[in-house]
Amino acid sequence: MASKREADPCWAYGTKIEGNSQWVQLARRYLPLFAIDNYALDASQGMREVDRQFLAAPVKSAVDKFQLLPEFLKVRGLVKEHLDSFNYFVNTEIKKIVRANDLVKSRLDDKVYLRYRDVWIGTPSVVVDGVTDEMSPQKCRLGDMTYSAPIYVNIEYCNGNHGQNTHPLFKREVIIGRMPIMLKSSKCVLYGKDEDELAKVGECPLDPGGYFVVKGNEKVILIQEQLSKNRIIIDTDKKGCIQASIMSSTAMTKSKTVIVMEKEKIYLSLNSFTSKVPIMVVMKAMGMESDQEVVQMLGRDPQYAALLLPSIEDCANHGIYTQEQALEFLEKKHKKNKFGKDEGALGVLRNIFIAIVRVRDNNFHPKCVYVVVMLRRMMDALLNKDSMDDKDYIGNKRLELSGQLISILFEDLFKTLNTNLAKLVDSILNKSSRSSRFDISQHLMKDDITNGLERSLSTGNWNVQRFKMDRKGITQIVSRLSFIAAYGYMTKISPQFEKSRKVSGPRALQPSQWGMLCPCDTPEGEQCGLVKNLALMTHVTTDEEEGPIITLCSCLGVEDLSQLSGEELHSPSSYLIILNGLILGKHRKPQFFANAMRKLRRAGKIADFVSVYVNEKQRCVYIASDGGRVCRPLVIADKGVSRIKHHHMKELKDGVRNFDSFLQEGLIEYLDVNEENNALIALYEGEATSETTHIEIEPFTILGVCAGLIPFPHHNQSPRNTYQCAMGKQAMGNIAYNQLCRMDTLIYLLAYPQRPLLTTRTIELVGYDKLGAGQNATVAVMSYSGYDIEDAIVMNKSSLDRGFGRCIVMKRHTAAFQKYQNSCDKFSPPSRAPHDREKNQILDNDGLASPGEIIRHQDIFFTKLCPENANVSISSHPSNTKYRPNRQTYKGAEGEAAVVDRVALCSDKRNNLCVKFMIRHTRRPEVGDKFSSRHGQKGVCGTIIQQEDFPFSERGICPDLIMNPHGFPSRMTVGKMIELLGSKAGVSCGKFHYGSAFGEPSGHAHKVEDISETLVKHGFCYNGKDFLYSGITGMPLQAYIFMGPIYYQKLKHMVMDKMHARGMGPRQLITRQPTEGRSKNGGLRVGEMERDCLIAYGASNLIYERLMISSDPFEVQVCRKCGLLGYENHKTKAKVCSTCKNGDNISSMKLPYACKLLFQEIQSMNIVPKLTLSDS
Amino acid sequence: MEGASYQRFPKVKIRELKDDYAKFELRETDASVANALRRVMIAEVPTIAIDLVEIEVNSSVLNDEFIAHRLGLIPLTSERAMSMRFSRDCDACDGDGQCEFCSVEFHLRAKCINDQTLDVTSKDLYSSDHTVVPVDFSDTSSGFENPEDQRGITIVKLRKGQELRLRAIARKGIGKDHAKWSPAATVTFMYEPEIHINEEMMETLSLEEKTSVVESSPTKVFGINPHTQQVEVVDPEAYTYDDEVLKKVEAMGKPGLVEIYAKEDSFIFTVESTGAVKASQLVLNAIEVLKQKLDAVRLSEDTVEADDQFGELGAHMRGG
Repeated sequence: MASKREADPCWAYGTKIEGNSQWVQLARRYLPLFAIDNYALDASQGMREVDRQFLAAPVKSAVDKFQLLPEFLKVRGLVKEHLDSFNYFVNTEIKKIVRANDLVKSRLDDKVYLRYRDVWIGTPSVVVDGVTDEMSPQKCRLGDMTYSAPIYVNIEYCNGNHGQNTHPLFKREVIIGRMPIMLKSSKCVLYGKDEDELAKVGECPLDPGGYFVVKGNEKVILIQEQLSKNRIIIDTDKKGCIQASIMSSTAMTKSKTVIVMEKEKIYLSLNSFTSKVPIMVVMKAMGMESDQEVVQMLGRDPQYAALLLPSIEDCANHGIYTQEQALEFLEKKHKKNKFGKDEGALGVLRNIFIAIVRVRDNNFHPKCVYVVVMLRRMMDALLNKDSMDDKDYIGNKRLELSGQLISILFEDLFKTLNTNLAKLVDSILNKSSRSSRFDISQHLMKDDITNGLERSLSTGNWNVQRFKMDRKGITQIVSRLSFIAAYGYMTKISPQFEKSRKVSGPRALQPSQWGMLCPCDTPEGEQCGLVKNLALMTHVTTDEEEGPIITLCSCLGVEDLSQLSGEELHSPSSYLIILNGLILGKHRKPQFFANAMRKLRRAGKIADFVSVYVNEKQRCVYIASDGGRVCRPLVIADKGVSRIKHHHMKELKDGVRNFDSFLQEGLIEYLDVNEENNALIALYEGEATSETTHIEIEPFTILGVCAGLIPFPHHNQSPRNTYQCAMGKQAMGNIAYNQLCRMDTLIYLLAYPQRPLLTTRTIELVGYDKLGAGQNATVAVMSYSGYDIEDAIVMNKSSLDRGFGRCIVMKRHTAAFQKYQNSCDKFSPPSRAPHDREKNQILDNDGLASPGEIIRHQDIFFTKLCPENANVSISSHPSNTKYRPNRQTYKGAEGEAAVVDRVALCSDKRNNLCVKFMIRHTRRPEVGDKFSSRHGQKGVCGTIIQQEDFPFSERGICPDLIMNPHGFPSRMTVGKMIELLGSKAGVSCGKFHYGSAFGEPSGHAHKVEDISETLVKHGFCYNGKDFLYSGITGMPLQAYIFMGPIYYQKLKHMVMDKMHARGMGPRQLITRQPTEGRSKNGGLRVGEMERDCLIAYGASNLIYERLMISSDPFEVQVCRKCGLLGYENHKTKAKVCSTCKNGDNISSMKLPYACKLLFQEIQSMNIVPKLTLSDS
Repeated sequence: MEGASYQRFPKVKIRELKDDYAKFELRETDASVANALRRVMIAEVPTIAIDLVEIEVNSSVLNDEFIAHRLGLIPLTSERAMSMRFSRDCDACDGDGQCEFCSVEFHLRAKCINDQTLDVTSKDLYSSDHTVVPVDFSDTSSGFENPEDQRGITIVKLRKGQELRLRAIARKGIGKDHAKWSPAATVTFMYEPEIHINEEMMETLSLEEKTSVVESSPTKVFGINPHTQQVEVVDPEAYTYDDEVLKKVEAMGKPGLVEIYAKEDSFIFTVESTGAVKASQLVLNAIEVLKQKLDAVRLSEDTVEADDQFGELGAHMRGG
């Protein structure tokens, strides 16, 4: 890259500095120190002319580039990739799809046709009783509707000549279906709205958008990770053979081409051929009959020719020398296509084999070149093992976003719509007599697209036969447990590979993830390392037009392949230029070419996200403009001097500039993973050397949203950060500004959430300081009472009384008034009779519980009248219908009083009246509730102790909770200790302290020395330890106690929801054993391991009791003679064996019912289970 | 009780007394007595606090329980509390806790009618008893000039059209049951430190060394006399038992230069009241409660009740 910037004008300076070596050295050392104000320094010290010029020059002072970040997020939002992708689909892709399939023709009558002229998406709306209404997402959430907009088309059609009218007719704004709209996308009503306007439509201004509302549920399409299409990947197959594979994907076809080397011979394996085909046969079939030409194209080096020799011999052994012979050979192997037109082996080679290389005028030459390039790369890999491609490398991956996924779905549905239309038209035209006038435009079925999109979004199943796609779990419900959890869903990347594979490669942290994917945020267990999350500044590209780039390349001196001889293909003097996997040609000065391309990109002449990457090893220049690449912004540096100067940042602060202007002026650019390989990126400006080409904006942006909440994560053991990423999503707090207007199935809220005393920059950027999920608790790290073993925490009762950890749990209960054929459910006033009164007391006269009423376990909150016979004939008088009451009772914790918070009425899809009850329960922490700090240190409340028993300091400070010091040594969460120190300094000086990741050098995290100084200034010990007295005895404690505030999260796991025990209770129907699970009031299972213990202990009676008496005892009659089960006649009390037809040898005994059931089931399979009885 | 008498006569010296703040020395007694006094002040001095809320209308953003909890935590002036009855012991109202002997009724009516946010504060609570009212912080002359700051404790904020109407009943209770009945914001004590400076040794030090000794303490305990250049104890009570000076002296290789002991029989108490009871009254009430507790033990010396009430302690007090 050294020669990259020859033509850059601002270069002149660099050379000057370089020349003045002595000064340079000095300046390097001291300039950062007084770089604060160059101008002031200049004037006051009256520097000599040379120095003056020098100082005014762009110097290496640490420009605080942090301000760029909020700016970046302002123009982008945190889910820009989703929005961009969807916007691209809605504005561009959908038009392409419709244009590609714009004609529907009748097969019977040539004149009958329908042509789509234009397509666009309207504004989100809802049609109620034929009236179209404006729609807002909040209305959809509350009313269980889908937030969607109509898809309009303009059509031109002709109904044939039966009406003597063959002129085309036109119709405008025909609706062909409804498209679910992504929130905050360009088609959404929320687009471009400010905080006040958002509040007016009931939306939270901090909500990121990027999801859909389908039938009242918020659904997000997860980012799908997959191997990139149209790229040659060299790796080994299962047997260890080297193979080159390429997944071709064009608008027409999708195919996988594999060239594999087996036993020194090279074969092609393609799905359209029944077995592997020798590659030389394929070459000959494509018209390259001369072996010499192939060898020539491979390159002069005899090594390559030697590797190809066995394949050439193989081909000769088959006796194939000409194109005809080769095609004949291939024809035999060709799988016959059952439907559609079959073009034979040549057709396969033309259309399916390496589909991205288009064959024009039967010129197979480009395809041959492509095969040779693949062969050459394979052979390179054979000769030199490290030129193998890494499948886990992020540069070889593409992220599929909502827009792409929806466009696949839409394309399929649109094509189905058209084929259905054609079929329908044909069937109508077939009819001899038609009652009404035929009008093709009347037969557009708009429900197909609407329902198809809605179904896929709500189930998450992408089942598209047309593209051989069958994926499950593409969409997920956005969990609103906490604000951060919702964010986490937007950045989540779900893998494409199966999880069961034992290989560790895909799970490991890839070096190329740096800055693109968060290194901390991944789930534990099965999905570990496969599910990833985007980092803070990552952007995912969308497709870019290729045409202009191709023209540009040829302008810049790319020589077209057709003008080159085979020999020149791999000539060492020039590089191959490859655009999105397509070979454009060769260039003699690759570095010059790359520089020129980049300059054009920085000047804004080509799109920002086009990447140019010179691969010296493969002697290729890769240009990529396809969608799904991950990239991130970086500051451009010229020979190590940042292009961003103080005045730029000042202009930014003054609002003269924004992030886009930085991009447009070429101060900042986006690099994707591949182009990063050509860059030398300095972490800080001060570390830049003359080779440096880019400088990071802020180091903490390598982390994602969830990991960004952790203060001082760079001081923690790495798995702890990963645990916190998972736990932050379970923490209770404020969900959104509109949290009290939401009707989710379950909402957890904290009564008094706080913002953390120790914040990070990410917290401020994301808005966690406005929607916090935790409280700053004064923590004493000491042992107390013994109820703090195994990470349990001891809590102060007075703190709980005052509201620490108090939370509100809201649950939604729904009920519906059903409609039947000729009758429907009715409202019913509840009975006020004395014996019903207690149960019905919270009901209003309409049979619905009224808001504000206290509701207890077993209370009725809903009654209605159902018709006894749903299918009443229409002839019977309505007053004859008999009704029976139907009620719903509330099942909550016994002895706990909840409150009916809200009751909402809405109509559901089938126009039934739907009643939603939000039932609220306020809880204070109790023993067993789970809490966690922000460092992966979770623990349950072990005991609650009176304040007077708690230790206190002579200032009167008494901790809110006590944590056992054993939590520290093995976890090594030093960050937590620094958090404690920092928060303590924060409360004593009244300023929020910062702990951003890697923030110490750039001032985004406080240093421990500075924190200690603050502590000492306010009369605390520098190490954060305090002198405490025992609250029980009043004597001083023997040790100094590390005490201060730590931000604690209350997690959603609470004993009240889990606690369970039962004695007698419900049983299963078939086995008569106790039911399983808390929700069914089930029994507690004595499992096989528990049983083993009891056997080992010899407690046989206990086993007998547990497994038989407390479970499913049953008395059976056994015939001693035949060993089968008999029965007892209830009336006569006679015991009979039904096999022996007598009752002579019957004994009664006890068996588990499940055992008896087993015998009977076995008998039903014609196997005789016999019991042999003996006296005991 | 037989055997030697350990009876001592503690002395109290008041250092500072404000309405809500008291600082005094307690001498010639031991930690158990001092701690008992502290514990009683926190947990057992009765006050009055809102215990039952009947909500008529609540269209505010906070839910009923939320408001009830906030009301409960408002300190009410509780001079009457010592003479009031616990509602559970009240025979005038059969324990339903709504008579004048054991309860005080409050009313709150607030509705926002204009576009400005209305802060409903403790001042909007109307008491049926003028002796029991929400604590007023505005007249503590703490220097708040802005009338906005003198609005009492915010209960909830209302926007246009929202309304809050409720009836609340305050009862007597103790901090042990719920922190809302605790009259103490801060009650703490410290042992009085005794600091000895070995003058002879100190003389051998240079001025720099002296300053380094002085500055080693995070709090300003020592100072250098500008005239004599001697190290002096400026404020012994600023010492936080942090041992920093001792460590410093040790590190200088002069152990014994400064010696610090805690006087085991003198305590410096700091009492801050929530405003429910005056700080001075809080201490007196605490002593009263403590006396009653001891009386209870003594009265029921060998009765079963003592065992019920005090468990092993009762037996211990009887000399068992």
